[in-house]
Amino acid sequence: MRKTAKIFTGIMLVASLALTACGAKNNNGGSSSSPSTSPSPSATPSASASAPASPSAAPASFQVGMVTDSGTIDDKSFNQGTWEGVQKAAKDLGLKEKYLKPTGTTEADYMKEIGNLFDAGYKFIVTPGFKFETAIFKAQDKYPDAKFVLIDGGPHAGDFKYVVKPNTVSIYFAEHESGYLAGVATALQVKEGDVGFIGGMEIPPVQKFNWGFQQGVKYANDNLGTKISIKKDNVIYQGSFDNVAAGSQLAAQMYDRGVKVIFAAAGGVGVGAINEAKTRAKAGKEVWIVGVDVDQYADGVYDGDKSVILTSAMKKIDHAAYDMIKAETEGKFPGGQTLIFDAKNDGVGLPVENPNLTPETLAKVDEVFKKIQSGEIKVAAEQGDLLK
Amino acid sequence: MDYVVEMLNIRKEFTGIVANDDITIRLKRGEIHALLGENGAGKSTLMSILFGMYQADRGSIKVNGKEVRISNPNVANQMGIGMVHQHFKLVEDFTVTENIIMGSEPRKWLGLVMDTRKAGKKIEELSKQYGLNVDPYAKIEDISVGMQQRVEILKMLYRKAEVLILDEPTGVLTPQEVQELGRIMKNLIKEGKSIILITHKLKEIKAFADRCTVIRRGKTIGTVDVATTSEGAMAEMMVGRQVSFKVEKTDSVPGDVVLQVKSLTVRNSKKSLALNDFSLEVRAGEIVGIAGVEGNGQSDLVEAITGLRKAESGSIDLNGQNITAKSIRERIESGIGHIPEDRQKRGLILDYTLAENMVLEVYHREPFSRKGVLKNSAIRQYANRIIDSFDVRSGEGAVSAARSLSGGNQQKAIIGREIERNPLLLIAVQPTRGLDVGSIEYIHKRLIEHRDNGKAVLLISLELDEIMNLSDRIAIVNQGELIGVVNASETNENEIGLMMAGVKREEGA
Amino acid sequence: MNRIVVSLVAVLFGLLAGAVLMAVTGHNPITGYSYLFEGGLKNPERIGNTMATATPLVFSGLAVAFAFRTGLFNIGVAGQLLFGGFCASAVGLNWALPKPLLLIVMLIVGFLGGALWAIVPGLLKARFNVHEVVSSIMMNWVAYWTVYYAVPAYLKAQYSETESAQLPEAASLKVPFLTEMFDGSFINLGLFVAVIIVLVVGFIINRTTFGYELKAVGHNRSAAEYAGIAVNRSIVFSMAISGGLAGLGGVALYAGNASNIQIGVLPSQGFDGIAVALLGANTPIGVFLSAMFFGLLYSGRGFMNAMTEIPPEIADSIIAIIIYFAATSILIERLIRWFIRRRRANTKASTSQEGKVGM
Repeated sequence: MRKTAKIFTGIMLVASLALTACGAKNNNGGSSSSPSTSPSPSATPSASASAPASPSAAPASFQVGMVTDSGTIDDKSFNQGTWEGVQKAAKDLGLKEKYLKPTGTTEADYMKEIGNLFDAGYKFIVTPGFKFETAIFKAQDKYPDAKFVLIDGGPHAGDFKYVVKPNTVSIYFAEHESGYLAGVATALQVKEGDVGFIGGMEIPPVQKFNWGFQQGVKYANDNLGTKISIKKDNVIYQGSFDNVAAGSQLAAQMYDRGVKVIFAAAGGVGVGAINEAKTRAKAGKEVWIVGVDVDQYADGVYDGDKSVILTSAMKKIDHAAYDMIKAETEGKFPGGQTLIFDAKNDGVGLPVENPNLTPETLAKVDEVFKKIQSGEIKVAAEQGDLLK
Repeated sequence: MDYVVEMLNIRKEFTGIVANDDITIRLKRGEIHALLGENGAGKSTLMSILFGMYQADRGSIKVNGKEVRISNPNVANQMGIGMVHQHFKLVEDFTVTENIIMGSEPRKWLGLVMDTRKAGKKIEELSKQYGLNVDPYAKIEDISVGMQQRVEILKMLYRKAEVLILDEPTGVLTPQEVQELGRIMKNLIKEGKSIILITHKLKEIKAFADRCTVIRRGKTIGTVDVATTSEGAMAEMMVGRQVSFKVEKTDSVPGDVVLQVKSLTVRNSKKSLALNDFSLEVRAGEIVGIAGVEGNGQSDLVEAITGLRKAESGSIDLNGQNITAKSIRERIESGIGHIPEDRQKRGLILDYTLAENMVLEVYHREPFSRKGVLKNSAIRQYANRIIDSFDVRSGEGAVSAARSLSGGNQQKAIIGREIERNPLLLIAVQPTRGLDVGSIEYIHKRLIEHRDNGKAVLLISLELDEIMNLSDRIAIVNQGELIGVVNASETNENEIGLMMAGVKREEGA
Repeated sequence: MNRIVVSLVAVLFGLLAGAVLMAVTGHNPITGYSYLFEGGLKNPERIGNTMATATPLVFSGLAVAFAFRTGLFNIGVAGQLLFGGFCASAVGLNWALPKPLLLIVMLIVGFLGGALWAIVPGLLKARFNVHEVVSSIMMNWVAYWTVYYAVPAYLKAQYSETESAQLPEAASLKVPFLTEMFDGSFINLGLFVAVIIVLVVGFIINRTTFGYELKAVGHNRSAAEYAGIAVNRSIVFSMAISGGLAGLGGVALYAGNASNIQIGVLPSQGFDGIAVALLGANTPIGVFLSAMFFGLLYSGRGFMNAMTEIPPEIADSIIAIIIYFAATSILIERLIRWFIRRRRANTKASTSQEGKVGM
């Protein structure tokens, strides 16, 4: 059993990295946004999908806990997205929810909070971010009665040999596809000129956003008649997710160099960039930011109802969290699996509302989205000959 | 009788110590009233009560005949009582005017801008009125200590003080500045102010004060008319016994040269020449005094000998051994003892206990430590010996914090520490500064004893009396140069005074 | 003795203030605190976690206290801790030695790494009189970015960009007998090292000529110079030792509580060290006890959150308030004095009143 899980995980990982159309194996991923028809869970284990069923039937009622990554619960990013999904699920399904904030970011800190949640009866635990990988690896053995959802990572012992136990599900996103769509939208909207990228730490999810964005811009230049350039100097990783001031500075430098749009995939650093953009926009300059992870439109609002957020390259973290909780209530928790949320199952994409994009742009972006879903456009998740 | 301030039967107790037992002092309008007492007699406490910093446990205070409660210094200020502290409270890089108006800045333009000019003008007027001669626009760091003191006085006048308390005002002044201060006090009296002068210097009381209240161990001994009371009588009231002013000593028996300074040149921290081509020798069994006005190279000489400052050129020999390039510790080991000028800055570690301070230079030797580990019992024993033989008084003996000792006792502890090491050369810088008559007498005796033990003593003092009384030979410095060396028995105050001003002696050159 | 009272009162006030905050935000302080303490002490595992959480704080608190006793304000403990931990991690990941030997080497290297980081401000202070607060806090960022560059470049695992590879078992301060004794807690040998170091530092500060010299320089540089103590050397030594203690804390943190080193994090233990030292009255034993108290707060907090409706932010504020009171224990001292004085004055007033009535 364990071995199979290992092999399975391995396959899934390779799949996710190489992006061979595999997509989300599980239907639950796809049926994301549709609100549940009825909160009462059908507890028939036989109804569970093709995946290896979780060893025990889903309990009739359970409590959902979450441990935050570094940063606050309202970080406009991972923590917030996950928490919103958890809250929504809890509300729709009549569950009790709780999040804990660890004192540090070491495995021990995470383990401590997981233990606290478990001891307090929160046995369905959602953790956002790859930093939880080793903690979840330990926790899934230590608390066999609990269920774990690890977003953006897979449990391993520090050796990157992924082991997803039947009480755990590991979730990845196709950030490059999301970045790609944002790139296309940006190119179509501004037509010509310079655009730039500010990243937080140089880690795979952020890198994939960057590479996807560059591919998207290139696609628009090649096929849709735009003339957008991305210069080497304008692709920068700040090095952290919390240095707001540095974000403002980097953005200011880029705007001074004539950049019109900055794709900021950088947490708090991005907040700095948004602030700078707002200052300039108020002064009548035409500057934009492309948001990340969640719909950041509201964060870019200035002068009443205008916003500097052109659009946002979203990872539907909240959907992922929601879906997993819902699956558990239905006894369909995809334990032992590694899921990928991508365009195909609507796990990534642009916001529904995009006030700063013209209908023409939106229509074309939608076409591209469909092509990605159908596999006609393949977005690479590696650097290849792209910038950084 | 018209009294401005009366403090009646004041008692103040701090945990376990009765600082003021039963003190009464009455200040007449327009007089200079001296408050005389030994260190620790309760002068400062009494004045702090008047100034509102402490509350008396018992007794009453009357201002202009009315009983009052002075709960804090602001209240004292409002009643026209101002205090010039021993340690000035001035901001170094502010101007005189800025310092004076601090806390009550005059404003203009809706109170947004400080009106320094108007204040400056007023200060200039006050300065002229009382003959203070202060430049309102000079920076504090650029003016002399005596001038800074006048700024403090001006601050009080600016705030319309009628009663001025001067706490040990002459401790930091040169003889000339003391005379100047006397003149200023007379001016103040003429303009109707009243002054309480806290001091233990009988000479000054004699020169400036009208009446004198003597306190001892927290009690008023009596108030006397200065004009009709002798210095000796006042000293007796203060100390409680007869005091001799003349230092008893036999003629010196000079032996070998212990300290030989040859053509020493030293630069001070501002890189200007502090000591120029200075030569001097001190023999075993003699006290050589250095006379000079403050800041003429005395401190630099001492620092160069002890190793605290590097010599630019020239040599220093101790007992025939060149120590010019030796470290401070090596010099201490080879037999230099040093009673530093500033006992709190250099002489003691105030947060250490008395015992720890007593081994400041010897802690690393046996028996005080062995293989780097301190031996506390040996240290305490040693400290107790010094405490006993030098009569150092403290709350808890060897384990009391140095900070808790009175100034006089701190000084006695330092002198005890240095003499106990029995150094070949004892350098005593202002050994009796700020001390009372009883302590001075005692310290002088110990210095002479050290000489009589066949050791060399180099005495640096700004008090000419002290130099004249103690020294066997006197070296006079002016602007870093040696003006001359005279035998104490063959000279007089007048001659030395001239040499201090830089006039060289004709003969013997 | 007096200091102990002050610190205890500070803690008490902090807890009371925390209780007020809980009450104001509509939570029951008694349940809150009972879960807080339960969370830190309820079972062997939690006790182990509490002590383990406290271990790096013992070191950082000692580092601050040691510098403080010698008149220096080492605010760069975070950087020293990080760099010491980094050096030890580098050794642990690259050298194949038997576990006891490897751990000893790692501790030494961690000490040296932290010391190196603190020597720089020490030298600047001794040579150019640059204030150590400024230079040591700058060194925090130098450490931050050095680690930021060096970990991904030299110590990273295959896929991870933001943290080093996991330390092998031989390089971990965790040992099976402790883990088992405390039911799977992450308690580790760091605690024993901490106890030993507390004793050693206490001995150095209080009983040796070396400590005497360092303290003398700390209290009064001029007087130390006068006494022939090599002042500049003392300053550099003080900083180096202080930094070294912080470096040991880094070993305890990264090779004990954690099992690898992350980039982009300036360890908060470095700054908590200041509060730990203040609450511990800058004495080694005091630091040890106050670190344990902080460890209890930090490890019990999560359980309080989980068991009550107190949100984590309020829990953070409660802890911050307790720390604040602890750190400002000097105020408490004044308050106690004022209280005593007032009471004495009152009794005196009342007796004199009675006296008057009697007349």
